[in-house]
Amino acid sequence: MTPSKVKRIIAIVLAVAGVALIVLGALSLPKRGGEQGQQILDTLRIRTLLNATGDGVVESYVAIAKKDATAKAKEAGGGMAAIRDAVAKAEEETRAKYANATTDFSTLDTEALSQAVHAYESALSAYYASAAAAEQAYVDAHMEEARAAAEAERAAKLAAGEDVPEETEVTVDMSGFEATEEMQRLSAAADESYAAVGAALQEIYPVLDSGALDTLKGTISAIVFQSGDTFTVQYDRYIAAGSGAALSNATSAFLVRYADDLVYGGVALLVCALVVMFNELLVSKLGIPRVIIGLFFILLCFMSLWYDLSLSTLLSNTVVRMGMNSIMVLAMVPGIQCGISLNLGLPIGLVAGLIGGLMTIEMGIPGWGGFLFAILVGAVIAAVAGWLYAQLLNRLKGEEMSVTTYVGFSIVSLMCIAWLVLPFQSLKLRWPLGTGLRNTIGLDSTNFKHILDDLLAFNIGGFTVPTGLLLFMLLCCFLVWLFSRSKTGVAMQAVGNNPRFAEATGINVDKMRVIGTVLSTVLGAVGILVYSQSYGFMQLYTAPRQMGFIAASAILIGGASTSRCKISHVLIGTFLFQGVLTLGMPVANVLVPGSTISETLRILISNGIILYALTKSGGGSRA
Amino acid sequence: MRKNDVRAIVRNNAVTIMFVVLCIICMAYSGQSVAYVMYELFGRLSRNAFIVLALIIPIVAGMGINFAITIGAMAAQIAALWVIEWGVSGIGGFLLAMLITMPIAAFFGLLIGKLMNKMKGQEMIGGLILGYFANGLYQLLFLFIFGNLIPLNTPGLVIKGSTGVANTIDLSTARGFKYALDGIWRVPFGEALYICCGVIAVVLVVLMLMKKLARVKSLIAIGALAAACLLYQIPAVAELFAMVNIPMVTFMVVGVLCLFNLGLMKTRIGQQFRAVGQNRTVANASGINVDRVRVIAIMISTVLAGWGQLIFVQNMGSFQTYGAHEQVGLYAGAAILVGGASIRRATNSQAMLGCILFHLLFIVAPAAGKNLFGDAAIGEYFRVFISYGVIALALVMHAWSGVQKKKPQNALREAAAKN
Repeated sequence: MTPSKVKRIIAIVLAVAGVALIVLGALSLPKRGGEQGQQILDTLRIRTLLNATGDGVVESYVAIAKKDATAKAKEAGGGMAAIRDAVAKAEEETRAKYANATTDFSTLDTEALSQAVHAYESALSAYYASAAAAEQAYVDAHMEEARAAAEAERAAKLAAGEDVPEETEVTVDMSGFEATEEMQRLSAAADESYAAVGAALQEIYPVLDSGALDTLKGTISAIVFQSGDTFTVQYDRYIAAGSGAALSNATSAFLVRYADDLVYGGVALLVCALVVMFNELLVSKLGIPRVIIGLFFILLCFMSLWYDLSLSTLLSNTVVRMGMNSIMVLAMVPGIQCGISLNLGLPIGLVAGLIGGLMTIEMGIPGWGGFLFAILVGAVIAAVAGWLYAQLLNRLKGEEMSVTTYVGFSIVSLMCIAWLVLPFQSLKLRWPLGTGLRNTIGLDSTNFKHILDDLLAFNIGGFTVPTGLLLFMLLCCFLVWLFSRSKTGVAMQAVGNNPRFAEATGINVDKMRVIGTVLSTVLGAVGILVYSQSYGFMQLYTAPRQMGFIAASAILIGGASTSRCKISHVLIGTFLFQGVLTLGMPVANVLVPGSTISETLRILISNGIILYALTKSGGGSRA
Repeated sequence: MRKNDVRAIVRNNAVTIMFVVLCIICMAYSGQSVAYVMYELFGRLSRNAFIVLALIIPIVAGMGINFAITIGAMAAQIAALWVIEWGVSGIGGFLLAMLITMPIAAFFGLLIGKLMNKMKGQEMIGGLILGYFANGLYQLLFLFIFGNLIPLNTPGLVIKGSTGVANTIDLSTARGFKYALDGIWRVPFGEALYICCGVIAVVLVVLMLMKKLARVKSLIAIGALAAACLLYQIPAVAELFAMVNIPMVTFMVVGVLCLFNLGLMKTRIGQQFRAVGQNRTVANASGINVDRVRVIAIMISTVLAGWGQLIFVQNMGSFQTYGAHEQVGLYAGAAILVGGASIRRATNSQAMLGCILFHLLFIVAPAAGKNLFGDAAIGEYFRVFISYGVIALALVMHAWSGVQKKKPQNALREAAAKN
């Protein structure tokens, strides 16, 4: 058998298994809402209820036995010690008696209980729905107030010179919340139906008195319905309570519970089949690292579905992070095109952008004007710095990468000193006590926080589309693409592809490299501002040091090499890289709680792809 | 003519001269006593010199500064962890750690060398990024494998409630090997000076009698040694070194490494390093297996770096599990460049001089920054800037001279083509 035949057979087997799983899942999935699903839940719920009440029943028997023992001991005329011994003995005996007593559930008539529980469940769910709606309404009504309070608190902290925390989620204080009339009515109705449940339970366990029922109320209501319950949540709760034995057909119940996971698994198998089938084509078209990272991304998507993480929220975050990083990645394009290879000196541009942002805050220019002013100032500084930087690079052609890295590092550490001594006055920027600027400078609504993210943003079912951010990203990509089509752009690419040939055709090589470098640096400046407005913070000091590497690895993941790249590489690479990071964190937290494994992941991916690109960048075959 | 000579000397040693000036300025403004600075300096020399010397061989072999020595340091930290876990303390523990470091670092060196052979001409940036990449793997190892999959039983190595090995590994406990090497034989500076001068004088006399060394030269050297000893008799001079205690064995080990570097260059493989470093194509043509020679250079460097890290760690008495290795390449690379080495040429004396100057600046810069600008952080950032800046400068200067050298050759080639 040839390898290709084996491959085809494996692919077909995988595909068939995948289709089978999808069909199985798709058939089981609708049953959740249907009769069978209801039946499964009912069975489990009643069993869980009976188990829970059973414990209460034992307590009741113990109490009765204790009482009897006390009475008997008193009659016998024993002293206190004798009574205590008798009570202890009775309790022990009763517990021993019921410890292994298993209720024979098959003989119990649960019809009445089942109906009562049904009524109780719908009453509870109505109550919780109403409560959730009322709370939401309360939050909506008081959100502005809370936001204003948070801003005021922040301002107070700034003025007092305390460090402002990075994560600020505005929460509405719920202490003023009062139950609405509807809620009270529904709550009363739920209590009423609980009485019915209690009556049904008493029929089964006559020993339960109303006191025992009162103590059991919390347990029972938690079993029957909790806020935000779905089929899977309830199923898992009942199984965790050990009621799985009640199911007459465990396999089919299992299928219904894991129907969605079956579908995901089936699709995953189909993807596997496709990859096995076309692996050579994929590898030759995309290269091994992109195939690996692409597959890893898909795997993470399936895992987040598998662990019931909200994939749409995660993807939405991915899109935001793609937008905020994309301009910095785009900054790599002119650098690669003009032949300075990966511009690892990108921090030069980033620092320029940060200065622009600082000046906006210092001068207190609000909103769009401030953002544009920051971009303008950043771009001008970046252009000057980029020009100087290009002069340096033109004198050391062929050795750019290592030099740019260390020049970038030096500039970042030089700027660390600058951040300490620059004469900014605003208390938003400075430490009020001590010297220098803050490590992270929080943006707020008076500056340009989320100015692009919130523009025309809209929601589709948990997926927030940051329209402005995406539009800005596409605009920048379009402009760079347009430039690469212009006469200068074409000349610049000629220089990058083959400097000797370009020189022979009369192109001024040095000038083209200067243009590319300046453009790359300016884009870096714009990029960090876009990043900051979305992140909500400007990070100074050593933060920009590694950003050049992150941008470089993103475009490499997208399919660029150190000498060739396209706009599509920027978009694909940023999406994949940020996607892996965004999805990796919650998935990793499920696997190993509280770990920093996703940070490790970032280090491995980002540096691994650069290493790969370096080994492919030529020079390998020479002795 | 004379003028040109002076200019050439200044140009070739610009970095070193600049650093001397910087050190003098910072020392003047730091307000620290010379005795304290000397005390700090000898402490830093004893723990850092070895690792700087580990950089020489790859430079000679034409691979530039081996920033991947961080990986050697990681190997050493793995070894140190296990030696503590097994509870082998003192000099035995230190030697065991060296023994374990050797195969691990050699294996890593093999992999690094193979990878670097795929990126010839880009070794330095490759080594830097390889160091970052390996740091990721190191974190995986220390966060998720040690202490979880492979249990550690020593108290303090694993912190309950958090994953992985603790942030700091302490060597000063009964299980550790703090001062294992330093503590063997410590003498005050004066004694160390006499012993050192005495040994060198005896060696010189022997060499002279064996007629391997010119009589005049060795007599001058012996005179200089005697002068140094005499100078130390002046109380004011002796005062400067009053606080200094010399860990003799550590410095002896450093001396042995210097001799090793010298001796290796005289062997066959040493000649091959040099040949490959000068021109790979020529070396290949003359029958040298260039790739193999380069791999060996990196392997030696990685093992030496591992041992250097062990010396550093035993002196410090504890290390940051997740950070102690990160800056090793940066500081060692900057130090050797400060001493006047380039990324193509380096000697023992340049390494030692660089180590002295670089660490001198490290000691005085924060205090000088505080006195000059009222903020110690400025000095801190300044020395980081200097570390990166020195490397950037050396790279720029090297690339520049490379470009300038190429130009006349190109002109000649073109002329030949025309004919």
